[in-house]
Amino acid sequence: MNRITITLTVNGHRRTVTTEPNKTLLYLLRDDLGLHGAKDACGGEGECGACTVLMDGQPVNSCLVLAGQADGHDIVTIEGLAENGHLHPLQRSFVEAGAVQCGFCTPGAILAAKALLDRSPSPTDEEIREALSGNLCRCTGYVKMIKAIHLAAEELSHAG
Amino acid sequence: MLAEMLTVGKSEMRKDAWSKVTGEAQYVDDLPAEGTLYARVLRSPHHHARIVRIDVADAAQVPGVVAVLTARDVPGEKTFGPLIADQPVLAIDVVRHLGEPVALVVAESKLAAQRGLDAIHVEYEPLPAVFDPVEALAEGAPQIHPGGNLVTEYDVRSGDLDAGFAEADVVLEETFFVPRISPGYMEPEASMACWNDDGTLTVWVSSQKPFEDRHAIASVLNLPVEQVQVRSAVIGGAFGGKEDSSLSILAAFAAYATHSTVRLTNTRHESFLAHPKRHPAQLRVKIGAKRDGTLVALDATVHLDTGAFASYGPAVGGLLTEVVPGAYRIPNVRVHTLVAYTNSPYSGAMRGFGSPQAHFATESLLDMLAGELGIDPLELRRKNILAPGDKVFTGVTVADTANALPVILDHVQAARERLSSIPATEGRRSGVGFALNVQTMGLGYRVPDDSTNRLEIAPDGSLLVYVGAPDLGQGLATVAEQMVAEALGLPYEAVRAVPIDTHISPNGGVTCASRMTYVVGNSVILAAQRLVDTLLDYAAGVLRVPREQVAYAAGHVKLADGQSIPLSEFASRAAEDGMMLSAEATFSFPYPEETTPKYLPVGMPHVMYVFGAQVARVEVDPELGTVELTDLVAIHDVGKVINRAAVEGQVEGAAAQGIGYALYEDVKLKDNGRWVDGFAEYLLPTSEDMPRVESIIVEVPEPSGPHGAKGVGEVALVPTAPAIANAVYDAVNVRVTRIPIQPEMIVGDRLAVG
Repeated sequence: MNRITITLTVNGHRRTVTTEPNKTLLYLLRDDLGLHGAKDACGGEGECGACTVLMDGQPVNSCLVLAGQADGHDIVTIEGLAENGHLHPLQRSFVEAGAVQCGFCTPGAILAAKALLDRSPSPTDEEIREALSGNLCRCTGYVKMIKAIHLAAEELSHAG
Repeated sequence: MLAEMLTVGKSEMRKDAWSKVTGEAQYVDDLPAEGTLYARVLRSPHHHARIVRIDVADAAQVPGVVAVLTARDVPGEKTFGPLIADQPVLAIDVVRHLGEPVALVVAESKLAAQRGLDAIHVEYEPLPAVFDPVEALAEGAPQIHPGGNLVTEYDVRSGDLDAGFAEADVVLEETFFVPRISPGYMEPEASMACWNDDGTLTVWVSSQKPFEDRHAIASVLNLPVEQVQVRSAVIGGAFGGKEDSSLSILAAFAAYATHSTVRLTNTRHESFLAHPKRHPAQLRVKIGAKRDGTLVALDATVHLDTGAFASYGPAVGGLLTEVVPGAYRIPNVRVHTLVAYTNSPYSGAMRGFGSPQAHFATESLLDMLAGELGIDPLELRRKNILAPGDKVFTGVTVADTANALPVILDHVQAARERLSSIPATEGRRSGVGFALNVQTMGLGYRVPDDSTNRLEIAPDGSLLVYVGAPDLGQGLATVAEQMVAEALGLPYEAVRAVPIDTHISPNGGVTCASRMTYVVGNSVILAAQRLVDTLLDYAAGVLRVPREQVAYAAGHVKLADGQSIPLSEFASRAAEDGMMLSAEATFSFPYPEETTPKYLPVGMPHVMYVFGAQVARVEVDPELGTVELTDLVAIHDVGKVINRAAVEGQVEGAAAQGIGYALYEDVKLKDNGRWVDGFAEYLLPTSEDMPRVESIIVEVPEPSGPHGAKGVGEVALVPTAPAIANAVYDAVNVRVTRIPIQPEMIVGDRLAVG
C-alpha cells in the first residue's frame, strides 16, 4: 500500500504525517500523533461519538473521516481545548457538576458541547440534548452533563 | 451523627475527573504502544458446530505474523470460569456460540494479525442449536455440554402453597419475558500483557476483579500466582460485564507464547458476541390475595438463559430466586429457578444481578392484581410491605432498614399526584405508574465477602489509600478518600487513592454487588483507627514521652503540654528511619449466625437489603403505539449519603439503563441468523431519550454501615421497567408482559380490543 503524506493543523500546530491511505483520522490521532483523548467505542461506525473532534470548528466522528480527508484542515482534540494552561470552562464544569464517571465518552461529549456553545452561547435544554444526541454515555444518564453545559454557558457569558 | 461532618455527605469532586476532561487518563488501549505486538481472535461463525480440523500452516507464513495459537498450545488449564470451569480459553473440538474464540493470532501490526486470521482454515460440522432456555431443557434438545443443559436449579419454598392459594379470593397468573442486554460500557474490553525478562507477566486489565484475573491467568498458563502481576488501568465502565477474565487470559497467553508485549482489544461486535450479557428470562408467576389485598401465596417458575457458558449464571439465578417475591410479606412462597445452557452469547454478571428480571414480573403482576381487586396499586403495596422483624421466604429476618419502605411509599404518593396532574399532549394519552423494589447487598452467605484496604502516610503527610478493588467510574476511590479524610480529620484533598497493582495492593475483593461503599468504607475506617495507634506509638517513641501523653486530632499529634506537631514531621522522620507509617484492615460482610438461614445453597441468602421505587409518567401515541417517557422520579434508600453527586450519578445512570431495558435494548437473533451486535441496531438511550429525572434520596441509616451507608450501585435500574410498563397500562389499558416495549404490542392489543 502506498503511503500518503498529509498536512493538517492539530490543536494549533501544523503537522505533516506520512501514513496509510486507509487510516482514519481517529487512528491518525491515536497511533501517529499519540493523542489518545479521542476513543473508539463502537468499532468505527460513527454510532457512539466517543471519537468526536472538531474539524474546522464542526464536530465530526473522527472514525468516519479518512486521514486524507483531513488534509489541509484544522483539527481540535480534547488535548487542545485548554488555553495557556487554563482549562476550558466546559472541562471545569464537567468536573464540578459531577458529569464525569468512567470518562470514556467525556472528551467527545465536551467537544460536541463546545461546538454547540460556539454557535449558540445560551442553549436551551432541548438544544443541548440534540447536540449531545450523537454522544453515547452509559454511566451518567446525561443529567449532569446537561447541567455542566448550562454552567459553562453561564460562565462564558459572564466572561464574554 | 449530630457532629458536623468534614467531608462525608458533600459532593466532593472526584480527583480522576481532571485527567478525564483533558484526555490524559490512560485506559488500557491508551498505554504506550512502542514495540508491542497485536493479537486478534478467530471466532466461530457457527452457533454450534464440531471442529473437524484447524489448519494454521498458511497463517503462520503470513508476513508479520509471530504466532498462531489454538487450544493445544494452552500450557495449563484449558478451561476457566468463575463458578464452573466450562469455558475453553480457545475452543476444544466444539464451538458452542457464534463468536466463540477458536484461535489467536499474534502479529507485528493489526493488519498482519487480520491477514493471519484470514489465512486460518477451519473445517466445521454444524450441529443443531437451541436459543431458548425452556426448549433447551426439553427432551431431545441439542446437548451443549456433556453434563446436560441444566446448569443449576433452585427450588426454595416456605409455608404451604396449596393452603395459601386455597385461602385466596383472587389468583392471577402471567408469564413475562425479559431480553438479553449488553452492559454497553463505552470502553470495549481491552488488555495488554507484557512478558518480563525474569519470566513473570505483567497484565494490564480493564476489570472488576484483578485478583481473580490473576488466578485465572496463572492457572491457564501453569504459572505460580506470584509470577503474574495484574494492574488496573483507568476503567471505561463495567456494570458487571467486566467480571470476566476471558480477554486478559488471551492477552496473557499471547504474551507468554511470544515472550513479548501484546495488546488485545475487542471490537464492539466482539464485545457483543463474546462477553457477558444480562440473562434473558421467562418468568411464570402466580399470585394469590384475599379480597382486602392481603397477599397469601406466590408461585414462580423461572427459566434463565445463561448461553453457552455458566459464567455467573448460577449466582444470578440464586439472587433472582431470593427477590421474586419483592419487598412484600407473603406467607406461602415457592420460587423454582432453572438456569439453562443455550447456544446464545453467554450471560453473566450485570448490574442488578437477577433482580431486574424478577421485579419486572412481580411488580407488573401486582398492578394487575390491584386492578383485579379494585384496590389502588399503592394501597396494595402499603398493605403488604416488609417490616422489621418479618421473616421472608428464605428465612432471613428483615432488619430495621425496612423502615425506609413506608417513607419511600410516601414519596411515591406525592410524585404520583404531581405527575398525574400534568395534562397530556394533544393526540396522546398520558399515564403514571410506579414500581417498588428490593436489592440485596454483598455476595451471599458462605461466599468469601471480604475487603482488605491499606493506608499509608506519605513523607509529606498526605494519605495514600490502597483501595484493593477497582473504581469502575462510579466513584469508589472518591468515597474511600472521603471516609479516610473524615476518619482522620484531614481535608479531602490530602487523601489520594492508588490504582491497583496486585503486587502491592491488598485484596479488596471484586467491585460488585452494591457492596463497595459498605465494605471498603468499614475497612478504611478500621484501618484509620489502627493507623492512629501506629502513629501515636511511633510519636511517643520519637518524643520519648509516655504513650498516654500523646493524642491524635486533625492531622496533628497533640502533647499533654499543648504542643501540636503535624503528621508530616513524623512521616518524614519515619521515612528517614526507613519506615512507613501504615495500617491495613479487613472487613468481612456480616452474616449473623443467629439470623442467617443455613439450609440454602452457597451464595444464598443475602441478608442486607436496599429499597427503592420509581414513578414514571409516559405519553403514548395511541395511533402509532410509541411510548415517550416524560418524567421519572427515582426514590432510593442509601442509608447515608457519602457523596451526593456520586449517589445522584449512580441513580441517574442506572435509571437510564432501566429505560433502555424497558424501551430499547435487546441482543436478539435476527432473521439472518446473526445477533444484534453493534450500536447501529442495539439502541442505547441517548440524551434525547432521557426524561426529566428527579432523584429523591432517602437516608435510613444502616447500623453496621460506615456512617450508616449502604450501597446504591444497582438498585436504581431495577424498578424502572415495571414502572414504565405500569404507566403504559395506566395510559392505554394495555398490559405488556414483554420488554423492550414495542409499538406493535400496544397498537396490536388496542386494535384487538377495539
